[in-house]
Amino acid sequence: MRIWKSSLYPIGKILFAVAAALLIISIFFPWWGMTLVAPQYPEGLHLVVYPTKLENMNDLDILNTLNHYIGMKEVNGKDFAELKIIPIVLIAFAILSLLVTFTGKMKYGVIVLGLLCIAGVLGLYDIYHWLSDFGMHLDPKAPIDYKPFIPPMVGENQIANFHTTMGFKLGAYLLGLSFMLMVIAAWRFRK
Amino acid sequence: MNGVKKGWFTPLISGLLVGVLIAVVFFVNFKQLNSANNSKLGANESAAEKTYVPPGKLDTYYLFASGGHSGNVFVYGVPSMRRIRTIPVFTPESAAGYGWTTESKKMLGKFTWGDLHHVAISETKGEYDGRTLFATDIQNNRAAAIDLKTFKTVDILGPIANLNGPHCAAFVTPNSEYIFLPTRFSAPIGHEYADVSQFKEKYKGVMGAVQYDFNKKKLHLAWEVMLPPWSYDLSDAGKKSSDGWGVMSTYNTEEANTTLEVGASQNDRDYLVIFNWKGIEKEVAKGSYSVINGAKMFDPVKTPGYVFLVPVAKSPHGVDVTPDGKYYISSGKLSPTATIYDWEKTFKAIKNKDFQGEAKGLPVIKYESVRHKEVEVGLGPLHTQFDGRGNAYTTLFIDSAITKFNIKTGKVIDKIPVQYSPGHAAAAEGDSVSPDGNYLVALNKLSKDSYLSVGPSHPESLQLIDISGEKMKMLYSAPADPEPHYAQMVKADKIKTIEVYPKDTKRPNSVWKEKDAHIVRHGNKVDVYGIAVRSHFVFDAKSKTPDVVHVNQGDKVTFYITNIDLDEDITHGLGITSYNENMEIQPGETNSFEFTADQSGVFPLACTNFCSALHQEMTGYLLVKPK
Ligand SMILES: [Cu+2]
Repeated sequence: MRIWKSSLYPIGKILFAVAAALLIISIFFPWWGMTLVAPQYPEGLHLVVYPTKLENMNDLDILNTLNHYIGMKEVNGKDFAELKIIPIVLIAFAILSLLVTFTGKMKYGVIVLGLLCIAGVLGLYDIYHWLSDFGMHLDPKAPIDYKPFIPPMVGENQIANFHTTMGFKLGAYLLGLSFMLMVIAAWRFRK
Repeated sequence: MNGVKKGWFTPLISGLLVGVLIAVVFFVNFKQLNSANNSKLGANESAAEKTYVPPGKLDTYYLFASGGHSGNVFVYGVPSMRRIRTIPVFTPESAAGYGWTTESKKMLGKFTWGDLHHVAISETKGEYDGRTLFATDIQNNRAAAIDLKTFKTVDILGPIANLNGPHCAAFVTPNSEYIFLPTRFSAPIGHEYADVSQFKEKYKGVMGAVQYDFNKKKLHLAWEVMLPPWSYDLSDAGKKSSDGWGVMSTYNTEEANTTLEVGASQNDRDYLVIFNWKGIEKEVAKGSYSVINGAKMFDPVKTPGYVFLVPVAKSPHGVDVTPDGKYYISSGKLSPTATIYDWEKTFKAIKNKDFQGEAKGLPVIKYESVRHKEVEVGLGPLHTQFDGRGNAYTTLFIDSAITKFNIKTGKVIDKIPVQYSPGHAAAAEGDSVSPDGNYLVALNKLSKDSYLSVGPSHPESLQLIDISGEKMKMLYSAPADPEPHYAQMVKADKIKTIEVYPKDTKRPNSVWKEKDAHIVRHGNKVDVYGIAVRSHFVFDAKSKTPDVVHVNQGDKVTFYITNIDLDEDITHGLGITSYNENMEIQPGETNSFEFTADQSGVFPLACTNFCSALHQEMTGYLLVKPK
C-alpha cells in the first residue's frame, strides 16, 4: 500500500499538529445538546453534554421532575462512565497525531485515522444507545401513558408539550474539523 | 467511511451559523430595541397609550403602597397600575400560609392585625437601593423588614418599648443607618397608669431609632429620644448637605388630652422638631442616656444642643426634605400655605442661638430667620413630593387637588384635581436625592362614584399623574383596598429578585431527595422531614404509604417540607383539613408548621398551590390514632 509507506510534507505535518490541538481544545466545549421548549418554558430547558460532564444541572433537575410523568428514569451525570473515558481517549489521539507530526510517517497517520473512524462510530452508537435506553424503557405505571420512542440524535421531535431540538455542538465540530485536517493531510500533502 | 464525507458539509454550515449567532449575540443590543418606545412619555400619546403595557411586557416601576389596617403591603406596576402582589406583613394571610408557619407565627407574636402606615425602601447614598423595604405598624408599635429578593417579611421588631403609634415612620437615613419611628400618641412611658389629668407631667412623646442588620436580616432598637407630650407626625431625613439631621412635624402642642379635634387646633403655630441624629448617636455612645424599659433613652433637655423646634403653620401633617437636601417643606393642614425652610439658615440660627424662646425646655428657632418662602398652595396641604427639576407637588386634602410649585421661587405653576382627598403622593424615586420626574401617584382617601359600586364601603384610589411636562396630566385611576397610606415608587431594574431558593443541602431540616424523606419520633414528639415535588408528597420514603403520616392523639407534630422543584413558579402548599394548618413552600424553600394532634381520626392533606396537571392528586393523609 502506497499510503502506508509514504511520508508527509511539512504542511501535512503541521495539519496533524493542528488536528492534535483541536482534539484537546474540543474537550472544553460542548459536544452535544438538547433544547426543550414548551408554552410554560418559552426560555427553554437546556441539556448540554461536554466530553467530561453534563451541564445545566438545574435544568436537568427540572427535566427529571418532568420526566417522571412519562416514567423516564432519572438522567444523572454519574451514570455515564464515558465522561471519564472520553477525555483520556482524546488525549491519546492527540499524542498519536503529534507522533505523526514528529516522525512524518504516514503509517501512524493511517492508524490514527482508522482508530478515529472506529471511535467515531462507537461514539455515535453510544449516544444512540442512551437515547434509546431512556426513551424505550418507560415505567409502564407512569401517570401519563406514553409510547416508548427513540429521539433523533440530530433533529427535532415532539414529546408531550415539549418541542425538542437535538444536535451536535461546537466541540463535535472541532472534532470533525480535526478529522478532516488529517484526511486533507493524507490526501494532498504526502509524498 | 460515510461519516467522513458528511463531516465536510455539516461543520462548514454550522460554523457559519455559529458565526452569525455570535455576531448577533455580541453586536445586537436587544434591550435597546425593546426600550426605545418605552423610555420617554410621548407628549402626544393619549393617557391610554401612556399607561398601556401589552401582555408579556413589564412595567418600568414598582410601587410599594402601604396597606394600612390590612397590615399588608400592596405592590403595583407603574404605569399600568396593575396590582402584582400583596405582601403580608402584620396580618396573617392564608394564600401565603403567612401566620401558620413556625417562622411567621413567631414574627407575628400575639397580634393578628396591624396598621401598616409607612413604607421606606432602603437607601445607599440617598438613592433607593432596592434591597429591603421597611414598614411600621402604628397600632402595635412594631417595625418590619421585607427582603426585596423574595418579597417576604423577614423580621418584625416589637412591640418596641415606650412607643405609642409610630405613624410617620418609617423614614430611612441616606445610607440606611436608621429607621426612625416617632410616636403619634403621647402616653406615660411603658403604658404605666396615670390619669389624663396628669397629661402635661406624666405623658411623653418618644422617637425610636431602629437599625437593620442587612446580613443577619434583623432589626433592633438602637436608642430613643424623649420628647414633649405632643403628637409627632410625618418626618424625613436630611440629605446631602443636611445629612445627619432629621425633621418631623408635630401637632397638639396645646397638650390637649381629650376632644383633640378642637383641643389640638387652638394654637396658631405648631412645631417642626429638628434633630441631629449623628450627634445623638455620639452622645448615646458616650453614655448620655438612661435605660427605660430596656431602651436607651436620650433626653434632649438634659443634654442640649441636638434637638430644636421651628414654628410651623397650624396642625402640620408632614414635612419633606428636597432632593438636593437644601430645603424642607411643611404645611399646616388647617392653613392654606406651605412653608419652604432653608437648612443652611437653620444651621446658622442654631450656631448663633437665634432663638425666639423655649418650649418644654427645647429651644425654638426664630421662624423668620429660617424661612425661605411661603407658598399659597390651597386648602388642607399635607405631603410634598419632588420631580428632580426643582419643583414640588403638595397634596391638598380639602381641595382634593395637587399643587405644583417651584421650590426656589415659591411660584405656583399648576394645580390638578384628584378624586378625592389625597393624603400622600408618591413620585417616581420621589424620596431619593434624584427623583425621576415622570410619574406621581396620588393616594386618595375617598373614591365615591369613581368605580362600580360595591355598596356603602368604597375602595380607596391611586391616581397616576404624568408630571413630565409643565402641566400635570391625569393618566389612570386604580381602586385599592383600604388603605394605601403611603407609597414609594422605585425603578424596576433596581429590584433584583430570586426566582428559586438556592438548593442549600446544609439548610436545617431540609431534605433534597425523595428517598431521604423520613419521620422521627421521640416519645410524643413527631417530626416529619418531607418533600413536595410535582405532583406528590413524600413524608416517609421507606413506608409503603409514603404520603401518609401516622401519629397518636396528643402528639406534638412538626412538618418540615422542602419543595425540591427548583423550577420557576412551581410553588407547592400544604393544608390539613380540619386542623387549621396551612403553609406555602416556594421552589427550593423549606417551610414548617407545628401543632398538637388533639383531634383523632383521618384528616386528608393536600397541596394548596396549583402546581401541575396532577395537582389534584397531590394529596395524603394525617392519621391520628385515638387515645
Ligand atoms: Cu403541588
